Amino acid sequence: MQTSEHMLRTGRHGTLHEFGMAFADLKASTKRIDLAWSLAWHDIVSRYRGSILGPFWITLSMGLMVLGMGFLYAEIFKVPIQEYMPFVALGIVFWGVIVGVVTEGCDTFVHASGMLSQTSLPMFTFVWRTVLRNLITLAHHLVIVVVVLIWFGYWKVANLPMAVLGLALLMLNVSWVSMAVGIASARFRDVPQIVGSIMQFAMFMTPIFWQPGRMSGGRAHALLVLNPFFHMIDGIRTPLMGGQSGSGTYPILALLAVLGWAGAFTAFALTRRRIVHYL
Amino acid sequence: MKGPQVSIVVSDLTMRFPVYGVDAKSLKKSLAVVTVGGRLGSSLTGATEVTALSKVNIKLKAGDRLGLIGHNGSGKTTLLRALSGAYEPDEGQIEIHGQIASLLDLNLGIDASATGYDNIRLRGRIAGLSAREIEDKLEEIGDFTGLGPFLAMPLKTYSAGMQARLAFAVATAVDADVLLMDEWIAVGDAQFQKIAHKRLLSLMERAGILVLASHDIDLIRLYCNKVMVMKGGVASAVTSVKNLDDLLADA
Repeated sequence: MQTSEHMLRTGRHGTLHEFGMAFADLKASTKRIDLAWSLAWHDIVSRYRGSILGPFWITLSMGLMVLGMGFLYAEIFKVPIQEYMPFVALGIVFWGVIVGVVTEGCDTFVHASGMLSQTSLPMFTFVWRTVLRNLITLAHHLVIVVVVLIWFGYWKVANLPMAVLGLALLMLNVSWVSMAVGIASARFRDVPQIVGSIMQFAMFMTPIFWQPGRMSGGRAHALLVLNPFFHMIDGIRTPLMGGQSGSGTYPILALLAVLGWAGAFTAFALTRRRIVHYL
Repeated sequence: MKGPQVSIVVSDLTMRFPVYGVDAKSLKKSLAVVTVGGRLGSSLTGATEVTALSKVNIKLKAGDRLGLIGHNGSGKTTLLRALSGAYEPDEGQIEIHGQIASLLDLNLGIDASATGYDNIRLRGRIAGLSAREIEDKLEEIGDFTGLGPFLAMPLKTYSAGMQARLAFAVATAVDADVLLMDEWIAVGDAQFQKIAHKRLLSLMERAGILVLASHDIDLIRLYCNKVMVMKGGVASAVTSVKNLDDLLADA
């Protein structure tokens, strides 16, 4: 049980102690991951209370977008529909996860202010809550992925293990971003707006609607290599469509996850005491 | 950890709050200061530090029921929040043995559009019960609230007193050794006061520790055997409730 049997809280004892406490918080949150799950599930239930389709409304609108864009842009770009439709479908669905985890990350701590200011729940619990909530939403949208892969016959060539690896790396990366913007948003209330703009900008800079192969130099173009979101999408979409992701994709994602978590965790360790006062 | 080992030891607890002004929450203003070479330090963050508690010492053992008395802003709630583990001390140390349940805010984990039952589940999960434990206790908690068919209604249809019943029922359903309460407990009606009273007595029988903050001297006399008067973040020594009149005369 979290309401611990023994609680010891002290003043600052140097940076090492702060890291120790941050690590204890992380450990406690994984021990009570079921609480994060309950909160995430409750969020979904309460967000769509009284609605018949629930989260499938978003799936439906995404599906419509995929259909519309699929037909229109296949025509404009002069790409065969059986190649473009799955491409844009996978892009939109997985981009949705990235945007969801990152932008909702801004509210992670702000929305939990009530609980944070009167319980000793681990703060990481709320990070996982945001991440899990978006995984639940993704599970609904997977309908689109499955339909498209079956309809266009890609299920025969899809490399599922690689796609799962890609999804795992994507989640690892977006979750540290989510925590970092969560801390920043608690302190500075401009951050959610900034994050919103950046993500919108990133959507157009990332090959979601347009194919990376159309850039001069293809995948090696600097705008793609330097765009972490491209690697995140590429690590899932390409194997699902039976292709080979860029050779750098997975190593870059792994490196980014390690560096990002190191940075975000450091920020957390240093601000942990203060976050509750920001709110 | 039950019985005699339950304890609270607070030594030299000092809490300082950075008060982030509305201005300080704007990133632009922070950046602006840096770019024009403004002075670093407290003016940069715009945070004025308020000392909410200074050098508070408390020692409680099983069976102690401490009443916190003090004006608004004297640090009672801050102390309770520090004891709940939400606020980290700036100096000093808090050590608590035993399971803590805090009833500081009625609205903890409340979802107004969810039913009473759903809110019991949610609050129970937050309080540390497993999903199974909650299902086992759901009926008992429901009975205790006395809300009957209202439990299937959304919480937004509840009055403040009804919400208090629900919150109190869930919070005390956890077998806590240490109960931290702010004075909102007074919101229930007479009948509820009576059942709440019974629950609190049974908690005391289990040799738990109660820390109750209240302006209501009678309430303190009713439940507490020890008192502490707080004034501007400075706490008096913990003394027996018998000395309450002297303490109040001094204050």
